[in-house]
Amino acid sequence: MIISTNWLSDYVSLSASTEALVERLLLSGLNHESTWKVGADTAIEIEVTSNRPDCLGHIGVAREAAVLFERPLHIPDPRPQEAAAPAAADIAVEILEPELCPFYSARVIKGVRVGPSPQWLVDRLATVGVTSVNNVVDVTNYVMLECGQPLHAFDRAKIRGGRITVRRAFPGESFTAINHKTYTLTDVMGVIADAEGPVALAGVMGDAGTEIGADTTDILLESAQFAPLAVRAAARGLVLASGSSYRFERVPDPAAVDWASRRAAAMIVEIAGGQVSRGVVEAGQLKASPATIQLRHGRVAEVLGIEIPAARQQAILLGLGFAAETADGAGSRWRAPTWRRDCWREIDLVEEIARIEGYDRVPENEPIAARPVAESARERTVRRTADVLVAAGFCEAMTRSVVGERLEVTASPWGDTPPLVCAPPLVRGADRLRRTLLPSLLEARGANMAVGGQRPDLFETARGYLARSADAGGQASGNRPTAASPVEEPLLVSFVMGGGFAVGKGMAEAVLERLGIATHAAHGLRVVFQPVVLDLFAAGRAAEIVLERPGQPAERVGVIGEVAVAALAAAGLKNPVVAAELRLDRLEFAVDMEPSRCRPSDFPSIERDVNLIVDQKVPWGNIVTAIHEGAGVLLEECRLVQVWTDAERLGAGKKSFVVSLRLRSHSGTLSGEEAKRTVEAVVAACGRQCGAVLRA
Amino acid sequence: MRRERHSGCRSRLRSRSAVTVSKGRDDAARADAQATGGKPDEEAVVIESFLAELAAFRDAASGVLGGVAEGSGLEQARIEFLGARSGRLKAIQKLLSGLAAGDRPAGGRHFNEAKAAVTALFAAAQERLAAGGATGVDGAADVIDVTLPGEPVRLGHVHPITQTIRRVQEIMARLGFESVDGPEVEDQWHNFEALAIPAEHPARDPLDNFYLAVARGADPLLLRSQTSTVQIRVMENRRPPLRIVSLGRVYRPDTADATHYPMFHQVEGLLIEPGTTMAHLKSVLRQLASSFLGGDVHVRFRPSFFPFTEPSVEFDMEWGGRWIEMGGAGMVDPAVLAAVGYDPDEVSGFAFGLGVERIAARRYGVADIRDFYRNDVRFLRQF
Repeated sequence: MIISTNWLSDYVSLSASTEALVERLLLSGLNHESTWKVGADTAIEIEVTSNRPDCLGHIGVAREAAVLFERPLHIPDPRPQEAAAPAAADIAVEILEPELCPFYSARVIKGVRVGPSPQWLVDRLATVGVTSVNNVVDVTNYVMLECGQPLHAFDRAKIRGGRITVRRAFPGESFTAINHKTYTLTDVMGVIADAEGPVALAGVMGDAGTEIGADTTDILLESAQFAPLAVRAAARGLVLASGSSYRFERVPDPAAVDWASRRAAAMIVEIAGGQVSRGVVEAGQLKASPATIQLRHGRVAEVLGIEIPAARQQAILLGLGFAAETADGAGSRWRAPTWRRDCWREIDLVEEIARIEGYDRVPENEPIAARPVAESARERTVRRTADVLVAAGFCEAMTRSVVGERLEVTASPWGDTPPLVCAPPLVRGADRLRRTLLPSLLEARGANMAVGGQRPDLFETARGYLARSADAGGQASGNRPTAASPVEEPLLVSFVMGGGFAVGKGMAEAVLERLGIATHAAHGLRVVFQPVVLDLFAAGRAAEIVLERPGQPAERVGVIGEVAVAALAAAGLKNPVVAAELRLDRLEFAVDMEPSRCRPSDFPSIERDVNLIVDQKVPWGNIVTAIHEGAGVLLEECRLVQVWTDAERLGAGKKSFVVSLRLRSHSGTLSGEEAKRTVEAVVAACGRQCGAVLRA
Repeated sequence: MRRERHSGCRSRLRSRSAVTVSKGRDDAARADAQATGGKPDEEAVVIESFLAELAAFRDAASGVLGGVAEGSGLEQARIEFLGARSGRLKAIQKLLSGLAAGDRPAGGRHFNEAKAAVTALFAAAQERLAAGGATGVDGAADVIDVTLPGEPVRLGHVHPITQTIRRVQEIMARLGFESVDGPEVEDQWHNFEALAIPAEHPARDPLDNFYLAVARGADPLLLRSQTSTVQIRVMENRRPPLRIVSLGRVYRPDTADATHYPMFHQVEGLLIEPGTTMAHLKSVLRQLASSFLGGDVHVRFRPSFFPFTEPSVEFDMEWGGRWIEMGGAGMVDPAVLAAVGYDPDEVSGFAFGLGVERIAARRYGVADIRDFYRNDVRFLRQF
């Protein structure tokens, strides 16, 4: 909203400078955008929040200034001279859709001479950025900018049938606005129609056929109330916003409907001549329900933390147009002004008093009591995960939660239901809520490679979005959505890095370890890597990470694999990449588990290496299990030293695991004999479970 | 039990040279061999271990010979490292034969290099002592060029948005505010109605929100447009007193430009305790501002309008002699308190929100917030 300071001085006489005015308005709720000179006048652009349609007119802003500077406010009371002939003889009005238009009033002015506006009017409009059209249209614009109530003037002679009907637009109905563009309407929009069709899009714009021109002599002056939603639907749907639609969307002062009509009629007669017909042709019921509000004066201090005397509270409210109904020492009763639809509760009055009194009075050194707080398991989980990855050289990425088809996968690691779709798309072509972060990270890695990025190893922590299948009930974990939510949001951490499976697995294991989930942890947790097939990963080079917990079904908590050639190519990547994704929401429980470590043994260890020959197809995981079972408590550590194949020395289809065992007892120094027995037990277990033989 | 010959050798050597050969080093070398993507079944780990022994030998010899100060010490060092009968070099030489045939040439080459290097160190030490030189830097043959580059350690970087969020979280935690998160796909109740945003409110316009094609019954779901939704969820489940910070991604259909992105992050604080006033709000924001920006920062309130607070204000912080817009705040609207089952006459509270991208951009001097989402490591490594 642009304000002319000259114009403002019609209603309030201020001695303050423009700067002081701007500053006070800024600190009482009218944000300042900029100030500039227009001839002898000054324009001030202010930002008006949607709850203050009264300040979309100069009078509303003048009222604020009058209260802030404690000056009297003068508002004209126009009383146009009326002719004997009734307006009703020239026009009839009917509202078919009170939901779109609660109230409509028409005034008739006959015998005007349309021409240029006087210079003062041209100047004032110019200051606020409105171009002069003619003396009738300028008056309707002027009055809107004065009181916030939009008006429209029709050429009465061009209203066919002498009758105005406010109705819903017919679907597909065509309308040519005064900008001479033609629009196709829908039935969410209201129109003002004559006998043959729409002459105005209700609350938005008039049509070209009935606009005021040089040959116009008789005017139909519309002042009405239109429903904000219908006006907004029309203005947005047709991309046809106007000063009128902007104001109707915010609901102007109901009392201004009549005031604006009188004001404009009086000004038109004064500037363009003619005579106002007797009376107003009205339809509908004016929608106005100013609230009555009880104010406890003590409440102000309870909310604001500062004392404001009751007399000062009352003076502020009176200045803003509130009418005192009753008052005693502790409280008072107020009727809100018609233009303050936003004020209907005690707390609203407290805010009015506060903003006029000034928030600078509120102290900034009021202590709050200390209260202990700890990081949640989720926070610690997210932070520890990031700490490990950052220490390992990863950069944290942030990619979009909503992706296009290209970044979708045929099967998410987390479920087969198709992705959720949103409208509008987040950005062009991206309307699917992602079910995994991996394709986004691969794309980011590809973009880095394209600009020569050095080792763009990336990770991201974000949510996935999974539509729950109809039969899956409320099985949510972590931050539980309401039981009935059809959407599950797993908290995921994903990383992509150059290299092969072993590198990525080491990284994933490091994260799991830091989260308290080691392969053979004390709480009976066990992580198992099992082969998995996912279209994102190369066949035979991927695993699901399964968590086994005492008393719980085993569940997938992660996937890891070497990225398939097709997925690499899609991301513009040439070299091998390994990628993994973990469900932190299924892992966060572990950070709350107390580590239960045993005291290190004081006795020396014995190391023994064994070379086990097994069939090619026997996985290392089976050997590890067998070794632990065979060795029992004396096994401190078991490390894979080497895997090798050699058809000549080992035989075809065989491989060798060279394993280093560290044995140690907590109760005494191990003898060579004990070590020997343990190793024999290991070899026996491996033989039994995996068909392993010791290499001679 | 039979052990493989070369494995056994390694173990013997390790026990003999336990003082100087660090096991950690051995393990590290092995881990390196795996981490660099080499296939363990092609590249023998034993050679790695052999090389580690050599490296340890060189390190130890270099340390001793560089510091030796008299003739007797020098002779002792010669016997230890280069002695023909039981010197450590000799011991390592014996390992050579235990290497796999394919590894022997490489092993031999490294062995010869190490031998030459330590022999040269010995000669230099001899020369230094003969010239009457004492222990020290001057004149020593193995002086290090301390300006040579160090072995680089590649560190990663936390995203600047995360860093900003963490910083606000940390400050607020010290004021007793606990961090909470909630779903990003929300329902009408939590995103709008409980926040006093009625059905006809423009904020609910389909063009201004990302509505989903799925609904819960008749209730359309959407990507949350504010993290205040989380505050409602917490209030529904807990009773005052309450101090929380809700944070996370929010979504609004803005066209991406230098100052807008359709996905961004919010941090919102909420305090509900009996007797809370705007003075408490201003004081908490001032403490946040002072800790975040450093120094004694003042806070300014400008009246504003948010459906879920009354009174509502925008708050500015004084930064570099100017007032900088930081976010929105206010006293929690009694309608919101009532919506979650609190008695507005019993408890009151305040709420505030910060746009993370905006303050991060300002803090780091980032002119275009889209840079935060390009994920260019050349950008990310600056933070």
